Amino acid sequence: MLKKKLVRTFGQYKAQFISMIIMIAIGIGIFVGFNMEWFTIEKDTSSFYEETGFADYRIVAGSAIGFTASDLEKIRAIDGVEDASLFLSVDLNVKGEDRKSLALTVTTNENVSFFKLMRGAPYDAESTDGIWLSDSFAAENKFEPGDELTLLYEGKEYTLSIKGLIKSSEYLICVPDSGQLMPDFEKYGFAYVSPAFYRLVTGFSVYPQINVKSSIPEKTFKRLVNRALTKTTLVLTKNETVSYAEAMGESEEGKTMGSVLPVVFLLIAVLAMVTTMHRIAAKERTQIGILKALGFRDRRILLHYSSLCLLIGAVGSVLGIGIGYLVCYFIMNPNGAMGTYFDMPRWTMYMPWFVAVVILAVVALFTLVGFLSVKRTLSEKPAEILRPKTGGSAKKILLEKTKIWNKMSFGAKWNLRDVSRHKSRALMSLLGVAGCMVILVGAMGMRDTMTAFVDSYYEDAMNYASRVYISESASAADIEGLIDSVNGDFGATVPVELEEKAVSLEIYSVPHGYVRFIAESGEETKLEEGGAYVCARIAKEFRVKKGDEITLSPFGKDKKYVLKVAGVIRSLTESVVISEAYASSLGVEFKVDSIYTKVAKSEVAPSPVIKSVQSKEDIMKSFDSFMTVMNEMIVLLIVAGVILGVVVLYNLGTMGYNERYLELATLKVVGFKDKKIASLLVGENMLITFLGMIIGLPLGLGVLQYLLVALASEYEMKLVLGPLTYCVSILLTAGVSLLVSLLIAKKNKKIDMVAALKAPE
Amino acid sequence: MAFIELKGVSKIYKSGEHELSALDSVDLAIEKGKFVVILGQSGAGKSTLLNLLGGLDSPSEGTIAIGGKDISKLSRDELAEYRASTVGFVFQFYNLIPTLTVRENVALVKEIAPKAFPPEKMIEEVGLSDHMNHFPSELSGGEQQRVSIARALAKNPEILLCDEPTGALDSDTGVMVLKLLLKMAKEYEKTIVIVTHNQNIAKMADVVIRVKNGKIRSIEEQMPLSADEVEW
Repeated sequence: MLKKKLVRTFGQYKAQFISMIIMIAIGIGIFVGFNMEWFTIEKDTSSFYEETGFADYRIVAGSAIGFTASDLEKIRAIDGVEDASLFLSVDLNVKGEDRKSLALTVTTNENVSFFKLMRGAPYDAESTDGIWLSDSFAAENKFEPGDELTLLYEGKEYTLSIKGLIKSSEYLICVPDSGQLMPDFEKYGFAYVSPAFYRLVTGFSVYPQINVKSSIPEKTFKRLVNRALTKTTLVLTKNETVSYAEAMGESEEGKTMGSVLPVVFLLIAVLAMVTTMHRIAAKERTQIGILKALGFRDRRILLHYSSLCLLIGAVGSVLGIGIGYLVCYFIMNPNGAMGTYFDMPRWTMYMPWFVAVVILAVVALFTLVGFLSVKRTLSEKPAEILRPKTGGSAKKILLEKTKIWNKMSFGAKWNLRDVSRHKSRALMSLLGVAGCMVILVGAMGMRDTMTAFVDSYYEDAMNYASRVYISESASAADIEGLIDSVNGDFGATVPVELEEKAVSLEIYSVPHGYVRFIAESGEETKLEEGGAYVCARIAKEFRVKKGDEITLSPFGKDKKYVLKVAGVIRSLTESVVISEAYASSLGVEFKVDSIYTKVAKSEVAPSPVIKSVQSKEDIMKSFDSFMTVMNEMIVLLIVAGVILGVVVLYNLGTMGYNERYLELATLKVVGFKDKKIASLLVGENMLITFLGMIIGLPLGLGVLQYLLVALASEYEMKLVLGPLTYCVSILLTAGVSLLVSLLIAKKNKKIDMVAALKAPE
Repeated sequence: MAFIELKGVSKIYKSGEHELSALDSVDLAIEKGKFVVILGQSGAGKSTLLNLLGGLDSPSEGTIAIGGKDISKLSRDELAEYRASTVGFVFQFYNLIPTLTVRENVALVKEIAPKAFPPEKMIEEVGLSDHMNHFPSELSGGEQQRVSIARALAKNPEILLCDEPTGALDSDTGVMVLKLLLKMAKEYEKTIVIVTHNQNIAKMADVVIRVKNGKIRSIEEQMPLSADEVEW
């Protein structure tokens, strides 16, 4: 029989229970979704890294000649080095009209920094005419195994036969440089050729890099390498590679999203459950008394009400797990949000074990809430329980001592007293509105910030039409000639160490202003001749400010440069920027690697001096696809925020309506019209909404600021909130609240005046 | 024509398949300024009668004229207006708003009744001036009922409708409340209709209407006794 009652009780409070289920489902859904996302990233990438022998360390020759087989043996001889390989990756142009380029890769060891064959013939280390091409690049450009492909290198053409289509973890995120946010396989891909081919083309077997698999700690490894090679060399850890760092960055984002957002939802769900169950226990008081008087044991009654909560928690969790899988799939599938970013063979989804523990804990917590709210009532004697509980007496509120009180309308007084009498309900509504506001402001503010970032970085900072990458073999005179012919500005990058941290020293000569620098404030700043500009991350990490001095040492040399900091700028890379004049006065040796010009990409004449050309549009295009993914996420969040608002407000609104049923009936009897009563109910909700928005707005800004630092510190973005965001988030929140209030106010037409008057308050 | 006139009034409650006839073609006329008691057992139909008079419900058949105006076919809003301007209610369980003070409970009728009396004056009349700023929960049952009488009269209505006004009170307090009710009704020249199953209250009435099984059994006019003459 109690089972039947369970079903009917559920029916009676279905608005509350369904809203509870939705909240749990969304909370658990986001929790499961994002935690699965980061866990899946880590699992799938690490199995990919494992499979293709992703290197833990890269020893870079820099400006020195390079490494030979004997250097490789010295490294392999280090105790603790699992395996190592001579490695080369160089950007080459593919013969054709639109200057596609490939990162051409050679590795001498198939266990290190190798690839996974997706289709076609297996790798042959002795092949002198074979190339193994990125399958994504092949798909975008309609290449098939067996087709021919012609590469340009130092003015010569090399025609190779495509043997196989591949993926490689070295190019998990295949971008030409960190200035481009998203891969664009139509323009840029990667390919492997054999060491035999490399020897044939260049005539020697010297490689610029040794890739190493080893679990030796960073400091020890660097020391051992320097000893083995008897000189200071630049050693990059895998954290300094785009592929690994960005993949782990995505995973970190998932962790942050998976811990911050669900907490907002679940916290509100649990608090709403506490409020609801407390009310239900109070309303079911008589029934509990009857059951007890009939002789049901406390345990049965407790079980009855606890199982109601268990049911709600369980149904919500099951739905939530379903939503979670969808969220994860939406991000983690080859055609999904992450599919345009990661180029990997396996997209199997994994659920971390702690997710199950947390879900069980949430369900247990819900059950406990039901248990505790009934337990208190049960401790009384049946006769006491059967006597209706007198409502908590109203108290004077602070405002009444002021003169404003007397001037207030009856409705305002009634609503204010109600708020003070049912603090927990009012507080929950407040939280719901604030939560909705936080999510809306956070989501749309993120978009504003990103857009402002694009504007300032790509519109202001990148004032050129094309960036010409100079080939390594170009002579100084060739470069001079090219600079003159395209009337360009130029830049160079020197890898340096700042207190054992690898950063890049960027040197610019920008008489035309084709590259601009953005100060932390967002203002443009000129490069002063006698000073260095550090990026915000370096400024933060090393606590340097304007006027301080920093010491940089270039790799492979014993020199040290002492630079005076002239300012802090925003930069995509972790870098120190100086002008060419300052570099010369310090005696820094550098070689121009990029020329920035207003000449369009298609009009830059091909030349052996040029490695590749990137137009601003190429970069903008990659940014557009990034923004598309971002916009989808933001829509998802806005929908979640609105659902949160609707659910919380509807739940609490219904509760408030039920609690004041008698009062509303009395007002109706006395002669208040339906509309007047509706406006009273809406008025209270709007008051709470207004307060909730006042709290939610700064809170949303705080959360956004936190997320910007946690999710995207590498972009050094400044929080921006557009007027549209203010308008939309305020109007949407107020709109949601108004809509829900009206829905509830509509119920007052159904008040049964006659029945209500028969019941004692 | 009498002030209150019911002609062929029936009320049938439908719940699913079942039909329950609460009132069966009732004819009734009540003169202005009279003190009327409707007597009957529970389920006799007396509360239904009161609800119809008060505009809380509409009859299934028949017409109800109050002061010459038919209220049986009014819309929801028109009924609300009728209740606001013409009727004052006093209920067994007082039905005060717990979150409003005594003054505010009475003052709230100012929002809807065009010719309302000042709330302070009505509260003074029922002798609760000292409790003006108290909440209902801080008052005794008798005091709460006095507030509800003040609220009913503050509207300055034509009719005062009372449903078992002493039902939740002890005998002495009940008598006191009745006395107040009658005094106020006389003073402000209101028609007063009390629904009760208490025979003693009937002795104080000008007219006693007995209801049974949804029909009027008798209508007696009598010489009323004062409250002090009735043996409680």
